[in-house]
Amino acid sequence: MRFAVLTFVFACVRLHAETPSFEQRKLAMIDAYAHHNGSGDYGYAEIAAKLWRHEDAAWCSQKLEQLLAAGPTGDMFWMFPVTSIAYVDRGQLTESARQALRRSWRTYMPYRGDTENHFLLYYTCLYLMSQMWANQPGDSWYTGNSSEQNLEEARQWIEAWVRLTTTRGQGEYDSPHYMGVYLLPMSYLAAWASDPAMKKRAAMMLDWLIADYAAENLDGLFVGAHSRVYESQLVEPWNGVSSDFGWLWFGAGRPLAMPDNYALYYLLSSAYEPPEVLKQIGMDRSQPYTHRERKRTRNRWRFHDELHGPVYKTTYVRREYAVGSDQGGVLQPIQQHSWDVTWSVPDARGVQNTFFTLHPYSSVQELQTYFVFNPDGATEGVVKSKKTYDSPDKFLGGSPFEQIVQDHDTVIALYDIAPETRFPHVNGFFSRDLSEVVEDKSGWIFMRGGASTYIACRPLQSYSWKPIAGGGRRLFSLYLKNGFVVQVAAASEFPDLASFGKAIAALPLEFRLDPVPSVRFRSLRGTTVEFTYGMTPRLNGVPVDYDHWPLFGGPFVESEVDSQRLILKHGSFQRTLDFKNLTVADAGN
Amino acid sequence: MRWLFLFAMLPAPLSAQFSLYVCMTVTREYVVGAKLPPSGLFLKGADGRWQHAGYNHPFIFSLDYDPSDPSILYLAAGNGLIRASEHGEKWKILTGSDVTELRDVSVDRNAPGTIYFAHSHGIRVSRDRGATWEEIGTTLHRKFTEAVRADRRQAGALVAGGEEGIFRSEDSGRSWHIAGAAGFQVTRVEQSPHDGCEWAATTQGGGVFASHDCAKTFENTGRIGVGATLYDVAFDPMDVKRIAVAGWGPGIAISEDGGKTWQSRNTGLPVPEVVSVIFDPVVRGRVYSSVRDDGLYVSNDAGRNWSKQGLDGSVINRMKFVPSDVGK
Repeated sequence: MRFAVLTFVFACVRLHAETPSFEQRKLAMIDAYAHHNGSGDYGYAEIAAKLWRHEDAAWCSQKLEQLLAAGPTGDMFWMFPVTSIAYVDRGQLTESARQALRRSWRTYMPYRGDTENHFLLYYTCLYLMSQMWANQPGDSWYTGNSSEQNLEEARQWIEAWVRLTTTRGQGEYDSPHYMGVYLLPMSYLAAWASDPAMKKRAAMMLDWLIADYAAENLDGLFVGAHSRVYESQLVEPWNGVSSDFGWLWFGAGRPLAMPDNYALYYLLSSAYEPPEVLKQIGMDRSQPYTHRERKRTRNRWRFHDELHGPVYKTTYVRREYAVGSDQGGVLQPIQQHSWDVTWSVPDARGVQNTFFTLHPYSSVQELQTYFVFNPDGATEGVVKSKKTYDSPDKFLGGSPFEQIVQDHDTVIALYDIAPETRFPHVNGFFSRDLSEVVEDKSGWIFMRGGASTYIACRPLQSYSWKPIAGGGRRLFSLYLKNGFVVQVAAASEFPDLASFGKAIAALPLEFRLDPVPSVRFRSLRGTTVEFTYGMTPRLNGVPVDYDHWPLFGGPFVESEVDSQRLILKHGSFQRTLDFKNLTVADAGN
Repeated sequence: MRWLFLFAMLPAPLSAQFSLYVCMTVTREYVVGAKLPPSGLFLKGADGRWQHAGYNHPFIFSLDYDPSDPSILYLAAGNGLIRASEHGEKWKILTGSDVTELRDVSVDRNAPGTIYFAHSHGIRVSRDRGATWEEIGTTLHRKFTEAVRADRRQAGALVAGGEEGIFRSEDSGRSWHIAGAAGFQVTRVEQSPHDGCEWAATTQGGGVFASHDCAKTFENTGRIGVGATLYDVAFDPMDVKRIAVAGWGPGIAISEDGGKTWQSRNTGLPVPEVVSVIFDPVVRGRVYSSVRDDGLYVSNDAGRNWSKQGLDGSVINRMKFVPSDVGK
C-alpha cells in the first residue's frame, strides 16, 4: 500500500513541472488501488481496479465472495462498487463469484437514501444491473419487481433528474466532495448503458458537470459558494475530492495523496477526458471574469410553498484569487457555505488559503425543512456524522439571518440575527496562512493572502479574537445587527499592503445598523453598491435582477433557465449541448 | 373471505389471536451508507421472542394490514410503500421513484383494496391494492403529511395530519378542510375502536386534540404535552374511556376519562422520552411503549409500572397488533 501511494505521489510531484498526460494521470490513479499491497484493505475498489487491469482474477473472485459472504452494507455506496465490478468483470470472475454477486441483489435491500446523490447512485446502479440481468422475475430482486420494471423506474428518475438539472440547476450543487457522486453515475451510464439515448444523455451530462466545476476552479480548487462541503475542506480547499478531478481533467493543482474512490470509479467506467474547450475553461485565468449560476435548493418538505427555491451564485475569478457567493439564507441544510475569498498559492496542500464570515446557525426548524425528522433528537442525530453542526465556533452552514451581495471582487454580507437564535453572534475565519493582518484605525482589517492577494474587511460592529485549534483566529462579534464589507485586489495592483489599505480607506463607505443593517459602498472597481438587509441590493442604482439570473452566465459558459441548452465557449472553440434533442455541436478548432 | 372482512371491522375483536408487529430501527450509530444493525419489521413470536421479518431496512415508519388477509402487511418505508406478504417475509415495493420517506399507511376498512399513505410531499391512494397510485394531497397548502387514516365509519372520508394541522376530506381526498390544530404540526391521528365518531390526534407543541363529532372538528383536550412533542396516541380496545399518549418530556400519560384529564405514568421507564404506545387488544391493562434508543417496555397495570421487554437499543416508530390466526 505504502509503496503504491508513494509511487503515485512521486509520479505527481516528479511530473508536475512537466504535467503528465491525461492517460498517465488516469493510470496512476487506478494503480494506486490496483497495486495496493500494504496493510490497508480497499475491498471492492481494489477488486474493481485489478479487474480493470486484468490482474489477479482468482484473488478478485475469492475476495468478492468473501466480502459478499460477510453481508453487504452501505446502501447505494455498496451498489456502485459492485456495479462497477459486474461491468469490468469481462469474463474474469469465477461463475461462483458472479452468482454470489447476482444473489446479493436479491438478498440485500439497499436504502434509497434522502439526498439527490443517494438517488442518482441508487437508480444508476439499479438501471445498469437490471440491464445486465434482463428478463428476470420480481422474486430475483430485492425490489420484488422484474428487471424491466426496475429498469423503467430507474430510467424515469434519471431522465427526470437530467431534465430538472438542465432547466433549474442541481439541488446539491457545486459540492467539492459530492461532485464525485454525480460524475460517477454519469460516467457509468456513458460507458455501460445499452440504450443509445441514455448513453448519449449521460455523456452530455459529463460535459455539463465538468463545465460547472471548470469555470469555478482556481488551480484545481473548487471556489465560492457550495451546497455541501466538509469543514476539513472548507478551511483547506485542496483537501477533497475536487482536487482529484482538477488534477485528472486539467492537470491543475495536486491530487490527494490517495485518490478518492469516486475518481477511481469514474476512471474504471468512461474515463471521460474533457474536450479542449473545457480544458481551456478550466485553466485559462489570463483575464478576470465574473461567472453566474442559478441552482436550486434541496427539497424543502416543510415551511415553504415551493419544493425548490432559487439559488443565485456569483463567482469572480482571476489568476491571483477568486471571490464567490450566493444570496445568503438557508439554501441547504447543515453543510452550506455561502461566500469566500480563495487566493492562489503555488502548492495548496495543507494551506488554509481562504477567508469568509458567517452566522453559525443551528436549528430544528432548518432540519425539519429539509428532512422528515421528528424534532426531538434531530440535532444530536445530525451531530453523529456532522460534528460541528451544533457548535458556536463552527465555520459551516447557512443562516436565515445572513444576506449577501457581490459585485466583481466586492462582497457585502449583512446580518440581522434574531435574539432567540441558538448562537447569537457572527464568526469570521482568519486563516493561520494569512501573511499579514493589520487592524487599521479606520476600522478596516487589511490582510495579505499568499504572495498574490490583498483582502480588506470592514466589520460593521466591534469584535474580539478567539484562537482556532491548529492555528489562525476566529473573529467573534456578538452584535445581532452586523455585517462585513470585503474588497479584494491583486497584490500586483499596489506597491504594498499599506498602499492597498490607503486606497481602500479612501473609498466612500456609509453604513447604519438600525433598524436593519444598511451599507452604501463605492468599490475599488467603481461600482456603487447599496445594500439594505431585507431589500434587493442595487449596483450603480440598478436593482440586481434576480428574475433573469441565468442558469449559467459568463464568458465561458451560458445557459438560460428552462432552455436545456448549454453553450461552452473559449476562443475559437465552441460546444453547444442540446438536451431536448440530445445533440452536441462543435465549432472551432 | 367475507367473514374475515366483517371480523376486521369489529371494534374490539374478542376471540382472535394477535401478533404484535413493530417498525423499529437501531439508529444510534447509523447514517445512510453505514452498517445497519438489524432493523425494520419485527414480529413477536408465540414463544415471546422477536423475529426479524423481511429485509433489513433503516426506515419503516408505519404499518397496516389487509383486513381481508392479515398475512399481508403494508409498510410505509423509506424506499416506498412495501407490500410485505407471508406475515412480513416477502416484500415488494409498490411505488416508484416519485415518492420518498413515507410516514404513515392506512388500509380502508370499507374497501380493503384501497390503501392510503402519507409521505414527505402529500398523500397517495391506490384503489387496486397498490398496482396504481394517485396523488390526493395536491390541494393541501403545505404538502408534508405525517398521518392519514381512512374513516371506517364513512366510505370516502379521510383524516390527515400535516404541517398545518388536521384536515378532513369527505370525497376521497379531492378536497380537504381544516378540522383542527391549525398551525400545529400533527404527528399522529387515530380513530377510537369503540366509537367511530371519537378521534384523537397528537401534535408538535400543541398537545392532544380530540374530536367527538366524527372528525368534523378537533379541539384541544386536557393539558398534556403542550410545548413538547407528542408522537403517538392509542385508544384501549378493552376500556372505552382509556387513552394513552406518548411524548418527549411527558413520557407516557394516560387518561381514564376519555381525554378530559391525564396522569403521568412513567414509573420504570428510564427517561420520559417515548415515541410510540399501544394497548394489547386481548389482555386488559397491558400496554406497550417504546423509549427512544432503548427498545420496548411493557406495563400490565395500564402504565402504572413498566418493565423492559426487549429490542434493546432500538427506536420503535410504530406498533400494530395484527390478527394472526386468520387469513391463511
